[in-house]
Amino acid sequence: MLTIKNLTASVDGKEILKGIDLTVRAGEVHAIMGPNGSGKSTLAHILSGRDGYEVTGGEIVYKGQDLLSLETEVRAQAGIFLAMQYPVELPGVNNMTFLRESMNAIRRSRGEDEIDAVSFMKQVRKKAAQVKLDPKLLKRSVNAGFSGGEKKRNEILQMAMLEPYLAILDETDSGLDIDALRTVADGVNLLRSPERSMIVVTHYQRLLEYIEPDRVHVLVGGRIIRSGGKELALELEARGYSWLVEEAAA
Amino acid sequence: MNQQVESYGQVVKQYIGNLPKGDGDWLSELRQKAAKRFAGLGFPHAKLETWKYTGIDGLLSQEFEVDDTSPEYAEHTVLQQFLQEPVSGRLVFVDGVYQADLSHCESAGVSIGSLHAAMVLADSTVLKKTGSLSGVGEHGFAAMNLATVHDGAVIHIAADTELKRPIELLHVTTRGAEGKALRSRHLIVVEAGTSANLVERYVALDDTTYFNNTVCELFIEEGAKLTHQRVQLESTQAYHMSDLHLELKANAHYHGIYAAIGAAWSRTSVHNRFSDQNANCELDGLYMADNGQLTDFHLDVDHAVPHCDSRENFRGVLHGAGKAVFDGLIQVREQAQKSNANLHNANLVLSRRAEVDTKPQLVILADDVQCSHGTTVGQLDPEAVYYLRSRGLSEREARRLLCLGFASEIIDRFESETLRLQLTEVIRQRIQG
Ligand SMILES: Nc1ncnc2c1ncn2[C@@H]1O[C@H](COP(=O)(O)OP(=O)(O)OP(=O)(O)O)[C@@H](O)[C@H]1O
Ligand SMILES: [Mg+2]
Repeated sequence: MLTIKNLTASVDGKEILKGIDLTVRAGEVHAIMGPNGSGKSTLAHILSGRDGYEVTGGEIVYKGQDLLSLETEVRAQAGIFLAMQYPVELPGVNNMTFLRESMNAIRRSRGEDEIDAVSFMKQVRKKAAQVKLDPKLLKRSVNAGFSGGEKKRNEILQMAMLEPYLAILDETDSGLDIDALRTVADGVNLLRSPERSMIVVTHYQRLLEYIEPDRVHVLVGGRIIRSGGKELALELEARGYSWLVEEAAA
Repeated sequence: MNQQVESYGQVVKQYIGNLPKGDGDWLSELRQKAAKRFAGLGFPHAKLETWKYTGIDGLLSQEFEVDDTSPEYAEHTVLQQFLQEPVSGRLVFVDGVYQADLSHCESAGVSIGSLHAAMVLADSTVLKKTGSLSGVGEHGFAAMNLATVHDGAVIHIAADTELKRPIELLHVTTRGAEGKALRSRHLIVVEAGTSANLVERYVALDDTTYFNNTVCELFIEEGAKLTHQRVQLESTQAYHMSDLHLELKANAHYHGIYAAIGAAWSRTSVHNRFSDQNANCELDGLYMADNGQLTDFHLDVDHAVPHCDSRENFRGVLHGAGKAVFDGLIQVREQAQKSNANLHNANLVLSRRAEVDTKPQLVILADDVQCSHGTTVGQLDPEAVYYLRSRGLSEREARRLLCLGFASEIIDRFESETLRLQLTEVIRQRIQG
């Protein structure tokens, strides 16, 4: 599904990713943990195609394609989805219109018909209920004035509607209460399938109790300094990152 | 310029001289005064603060004719598209001429007619009101309008009338308008306790070049409420000027929702001097300018008495080499305590060649008031464009959606769904990404 090889990237001349190697196979869930400022969101945005990052070396292959040569929207159409750490507010853009236009843009790119209004409504209602998003928020402007938790649920709703092949969740659990965490995890688990992969960026082991990862990676200072099974997350929770940093330095 | 004023003055004089006696007599005194006023004022020039950014050379160089020969248009059928919406009453003007056969009104308490008919009947109440708010003209074009006015709408809504549907004032231009200066004056009276909805539309069937010079006087009596939805979608070659003058009596409420989208050159000015307490004036406006377009909004709201509220919210979308002018003057006089006044203007500039000159002015002389104002001129948020693209929309679609989002704050104010859909569609087509 995804292969990242020796990826280096900088922002404003400052090197942030210093050689990332990561392979995610179809059906796998990978967790990325690491201290603040270590480059997790940077990696997520580079995958999704945000401007402003300079990839200085390495390569990313997604489903056999050179990902870095694709426009942002083409990546989305090819099945990449990033649930953002800080979802953007779009005043005046109706949430429902936004969802329908996104869905149709992706469908059109795949040569499929646009979804008809009735099926769309049915689907959006069902999935909003699944992620426990207040249906009133569907009629409001995208994320505008939403609470932190509501924004995160809205991201998960988009993911559920767009049914990506590679979903990247950047701290979707931050700022959520325990019930909401559960709901978000359920939403993610509903999507899990042999042909879908996920990269879950998180600071908390707790989320990984609900979404069981196949691999856990520790990103520090722009490098993955340790990878392991889900037990690594437990160890990190108990011991923090410093021992790993010291081991890596030794 | 002086030469132009003289030759236009000549045209005005000739026009008045040639009027049939009956019509001419009724308004002639006002016409003469306005002609004199025009000769004295001439045309507005760039040295005047309120005309600084709104050039009129293009307009004058067209040498539009004052010619009232009725248009020959056989295509009544093409007009049908504009006549579908159910209304309480409708007045239709084609190329500035009232169309009695297309106009109708079945609602109790509402009387409609043309200014021309009022002239023929020498209706003294109409005469008394004509020019009573606008004066003989505060600039040359307004004076010319009064001196040479041809027709217009006269709408009277009796006291304590409750209207379910709007009354529509529809102004259509056809090929017949080519090269002409259309001069109309509308007089609208909403009597005490009445709640009404007025739709005023300017549309074009052809890409004709003409000058639509309109003055509208609106009288909203005690406790009455008028919602005024006004859409300017003139031909892309047209020149459009409207002066709106409001009078709000005690406890009256006026809500104007305006869209200025069409015309090569358009200027809309709204004047309201509060002279009775507890009145409320709300103005929402949307303007758009593309290549070769200039659009101008002038607001002049004067809190001359205490306890009145005014709110002005205008948004502009500029693209291509479009130009916009916004000048919002809100005055709160010394004696106008307990006034509320909020003025806001936001502009979305989509191209480097587009230009906007915005001047919100809140002049506050009273101390016990609540007033605010704000202006923004900005581009689309790159983060928002990225967010939409990351969901599969092309850059062009993303920009279009965001522009519509920006405009929707005003579009959503229109009560008529038809107008909302129409405006959304026009803007969608206009924004090329
Ligand atoms: N546009 C930018 N300009 C300058 N520095 C940037 C920019 N974007 C990111 N950085 C820097 O890159 C580093 C990595 O940031 P990133 O957001 O990827 O961290 P993170 O691992 O996601 O942290 P957190 O856990 O706090 O979300 C930080 O030091 C950050 O300040
Ligand atoms: Mg981050």
